[in-house]
Amino acid sequence: MKRLSTEIAIIGAGPAGLCAAIEASKLGAKVTLIDENALPGGQLFKQIHKFFGSKEHLAGVRGYEIGTRLLEELEKSDAEVMLSGTAYGLFRDMTIGVVQKTNHYAIQAKKIILAAGGKENYMDFPGSTLPGVMGAGAAQTMINVNRVLPGRHVVMLGSGNVGLIVSYQLMQAGACVEALVEAAPAIGGYGVHAGKIRRAGVPILTSHTIKEVYGDGKVEGVIIAEVDEKFRVIEGTERAIAADTVCLAVGLNPMTELAHMAGCGFTFLPALGGHVPLHDDNMETTVPGIYVAGDITGVEEASSAMEEGKLAGIAAAASLGYLDQEKAKELKDEVQVRLSALRTGAFGEKRQTAKTEQMARMAAFLQEKGGRRP
Amino acid sequence: MKEGVRYTGIASEEELKNSFGIPSAARMKQGPVAVIECVQEIPCNPCEGTCPFGAITIGDPITNLPHLNETLCTGCGTCVAMCPGQAIFLVNDLSEQEAEVTFPFEYWPLPQVGDEVDAVNRAGEVVCKGRVTKVRNPVAYKNTCVVTISIPNAFKDDVRSMKRVIKQTPMELAEQKERASQLVCRCEELTRGDIEKAIDEGATTIDGIKRRTRAGMGLCQGKSCERLVARILSEKLGRPLAEFLPATYRAPVRPISMGVIADNCEKE
Repeated sequence: MKRLSTEIAIIGAGPAGLCAAIEASKLGAKVTLIDENALPGGQLFKQIHKFFGSKEHLAGVRGYEIGTRLLEELEKSDAEVMLSGTAYGLFRDMTIGVVQKTNHYAIQAKKIILAAGGKENYMDFPGSTLPGVMGAGAAQTMINVNRVLPGRHVVMLGSGNVGLIVSYQLMQAGACVEALVEAAPAIGGYGVHAGKIRRAGVPILTSHTIKEVYGDGKVEGVIIAEVDEKFRVIEGTERAIAADTVCLAVGLNPMTELAHMAGCGFTFLPALGGHVPLHDDNMETTVPGIYVAGDITGVEEASSAMEEGKLAGIAAAASLGYLDQEKAKELKDEVQVRLSALRTGAFGEKRQTAKTEQMARMAAFLQEKGGRRP
Repeated sequence: MKEGVRYTGIASEEELKNSFGIPSAARMKQGPVAVIECVQEIPCNPCEGTCPFGAITIGDPITNLPHLNETLCTGCGTCVAMCPGQAIFLVNDLSEQEAEVTFPFEYWPLPQVGDEVDAVNRAGEVVCKGRVTKVRNPVAYKNTCVVTISIPNAFKDDVRSMKRVIKQTPMELAEQKERASQLVCRCEELTRGDIEKAIDEGATTIDGIKRRTRAGMGLCQGKSCERLVARILSEKLGRPLAEFLPATYRAPVRPISMGVIADNCEKE
């Protein structure tokens, strides 16, 4: 085992981790960015659609182009990048256990930013383990990164933005989306994303669910059925759709194992994807020196993950003395303005409310501890 | 069945009426004009900054719905390509018989000017035939192609896209196969199919084709194939020929005897 030390260790080189690394390194801190994949960028390189937001959020730029820009900035910075490095544990003395191919490292850091991202939710129904049933995110990786079409005839479950966008991209890749099935009575994602796939002829079946997927060794068809307001299948409404692929776009949840290991305090907020680590407006958790950014703090989208990453990067660098509190506040305020712009409107409101609630619970936690972290 | 974008993915008449992006019927008669079908308050404002004529206003906060100033709008179509939600169209009320509808299109293969296509409504249902009159896909549009089709005037408020081409008839396939076997680069014995395959794999420049296939690296150094390759790129990607710069040239640009050069070097 080799012992290494750094000032700021960042786990995860997706949009949040990259932005944290770029900001902290720009301010002068010694940064080590660790990612288990062979290439940095997280999920950005499979986002082939134009992003929303405003100019400051790089609206109108396709996700993979944002990824390319971030990698260029990272290249120019002094941040050290450790790829194919699996952070397998976070220990109480601020040491991260990392395995990189056949090498084993213990990386000691003054500050740690966890930007591990999220993972897809799964569903169980008869046939859910048949080859051809997969997460929508996995299908998106196949078509946009590996350029492999998982199937020709797809049934998508879930009408959030992921389900809508991946349906569209599967069609761009040459597949037919036979139906998009949504258990709720209304569409979850943006109307404009739904509009795109409607114009391409995809039926969106709200108040419907997948009852069963059938096939001999692989997906051959899907039995869908209507559901009542309590999501119970209404007998007699079943019908079959021939398909070779079923994609599940039923939400994501934060990847929080390392934060748990480190002893961070948690709170449960369904709007953010479940149990999330408590953190303050510096993105610092209840454990001094451990920060969080991106989907690990609650599932949102890449645009807000990038802003949170910047916030954590600035705060961690400031706490090491790389900039004074006044300058740090100025930089953080700029980020906060952009961040709250992304959480306005009917769609953002729910997340904003949950984030505000999270902050309140963090404040209550600190107050209980006498205003200081234990 | 409940109406409206939340339930169907399609903005209802009511929602469109209450938004601020729909031009008057009178304006549509004066030439192409933007029709902004954006009815949900989402954090997004590229249309505002992208309009060269300041005809779209969102302001602060960025969740505001876009307001169209129909007098300032020239129907240039930039916003059609730049709206990440693909919610902007152009309508041109040409005559009592004919109208043009312009929409964003991101599916291969791109249509060609003159093609007869199936015009579809907001639900993807074919409502009439359309004839493609314009296909615009400059670099500035960042791979969102903007297609204009001519349709019977009666359908101008319904048609918002065209059916993507998925399946070809056996005859089209046979024709395509024959075309695909046509030699394009004789030196390296490459067919049109080889070049098209390289484009499918991501080549967007003559150099890109060259690296993947060796087209232009043979005896003639691209003299016969370069222009053909440029034309295939232009056709397949829907971009003007002017955008395809020649491949990188390196000495020797004519076939010469390497021995001659080598011998001379030795003497020096």
